[in-house]
Amino acid sequence: MSARDAPAVDLRDVVVTTPSASGRVLVDVPALRIDAGERIGVIGANGAGKSTLLRVLAGTCQPSFGRVRLLGCSVGPQADPAPGAGQRRALRAQIGQVMQGLHLVPRLTARENVVLGALGDPAAMPAWRAWTRLYPRDIRARAGAALDRVGLSDRAEVRADRLSGGERQRVALARLLMQRPRLVLADEPTSALDPTGTEVACGILAGFDAGVAVVTVVHDPALLPRVAERVIGLAGGRIVLDMPVAAVDGAALAALYTVDRERATAPEDRAVPAALHAAAERC
Amino acid sequence: MSGTATAPAHGPDRAVERGRLGFLALCVAFAALVALCLATLVAAGDLSFGRNPWDNLRASLAQFAQPSFLDAWFGPERLEYRADDGRLLRVEDPRALEREFLAATARATWVTFQIATLGSLLASLLGLPLAVLAARTLGVPRAVSAAAAGVLRACRSVHTLVFGLILVGVVGLGPTAGILAIALHSMGTCGKLFAESIEALDMASVEAVRATGAPPLQVFFSAVWPAVLPQFVGTHLYVWEFNIRDSTVLGLIGAGGLGLLITEAVSLFQWGRLATLLVVIVALVSVFDALSGAIRRRLQ
Repeated sequence: MSARDAPAVDLRDVVVTTPSASGRVLVDVPALRIDAGERIGVIGANGAGKSTLLRVLAGTCQPSFGRVRLLGCSVGPQADPAPGAGQRRALRAQIGQVMQGLHLVPRLTARENVVLGALGDPAAMPAWRAWTRLYPRDIRARAGAALDRVGLSDRAEVRADRLSGGERQRVALARLLMQRPRLVLADEPTSALDPTGTEVACGILAGFDAGVAVVTVVHDPALLPRVAERVIGLAGGRIVLDMPVAAVDGAALAALYTVDRERATAPEDRAVPAALHAAAERC
Repeated sequence: MSGTATAPAHGPDRAVERGRLGFLALCVAFAALVALCLATLVAAGDLSFGRNPWDNLRASLAQFAQPSFLDAWFGPERLEYRADDGRLLRVEDPRALEREFLAATARATWVTFQIATLGSLLASLLGLPLAVLAARTLGVPRAVSAAAAGVLRACRSVHTLVFGLILVGVVGLGPTAGILAIALHSMGTCGKLFAESIEALDMASVEAVRATGAPPLQVFFSAVWPAVLPQFVGTHLYVWEFNIRDSTVLGLIGAGGLGLLITEAVSLFQWGRLATLLVVIVALVSVFDALSGAIRRRLQ
């Protein structure tokens, strides 16, 4: 379908607005390119557009304008020709997501939820196996290994709606491992995890193959060096910071979160503080 | 409206206050409605318990306390009917008669069970496609879904007995009319409950499975089916349970089953036999309720 060396993400003039007539701008990105194998950390205040940007990268949020190329496949509103259902499905199979809310299937066990990660591979199993939940042995074994990796092997046969919040987050990470994606999108994957779980999650996100691009939304700046080489800061839906993780310092972070506070009080003021410019120039 | 919500420090919350006043007004309106019903009933002179309710109650209870099935084992073996001049008119064996009645009751109970079971199954089969159309989350055109919901509502609002009366005229006396009557009424209940479980489906988890790139059939079997199936089975058991109760009266209008024996017993003033029938009905309904309740709990 696409060349292996195509950038994982290539956005041009992407604007996402709320569906209402007033059309508040949620995300406004003139250009963003993420190469295969890059490790990106996304930071920003609440409501800065992080989750919306991630949904654009997942292809589940159609922007109002702009060009979106994911793993070499055009999916945006200006995609020509628009991708067919099969093409979209193949693309989804290559994009692994851990979104907020996790969205496990409540009545399936932890192991069965992990197996769902393999369904994108058309050769994985016929439909009747999904129906009867008699999964092939190798897939069950792979799911067991993934659960082991997140430290949940003793809870494999517990139904997802009986698991705690942190356990669910681990199951979602195991499902991600099962999927073997080329682009990983993780929205605050450590929000419900204890320190051990956070270690495990960071290890998983950092441990994907060299060709896999990983985009992680983080709230704790201390985690940035663990999961990212390059940091993107969002404020009011715009990218106001894009620098290597080593260049991110307290001043840059403070400036990032101040931008948003100023925007909240005076939305028409789009000025970027001098401290941010200074930080951006340093890299 | 919570009655214990505390007002914020800067003054009473208008919305909470309005809600409480609204609930008070609702209580007053309901009390007025009850008073109106009672007053008009009394004014029309219809609120009466007959001439001697206590004597009637005592007499009925005395007869009910001797359910006829006891006669099958403990009744007299020979009962002679003689004319005034001592001529022997007729000899009866109450034990044999009662055993025959019990056999007839067993057959009627089986017919009642048949009516409820087949009627409920037909109701579910008819209700499911309508529920899929009526559910508002599946992207069915509004007009179609409103029409389907309207059909379901109409079916629900006509009582089984009314359907039964109509159908006895169409397909004749017997259990077929009962089965169809139950199917038509319960189709409305099933359809509504099915549609509700479809609407309550967590679309986000379905989306999550779709996001792994799974083909539509796999998405259906992995995310939709496990969420919806236990609810459908639970609904079906609930409606079945309900229809076991409902079908015991269908015989009253000639649609087969225990109701037919009830009409007979009542018109011949055989209160002992009526007591037997009531015992059978209570036992049947209790056993089935317990079974279906246990299964439904396991499905959670």
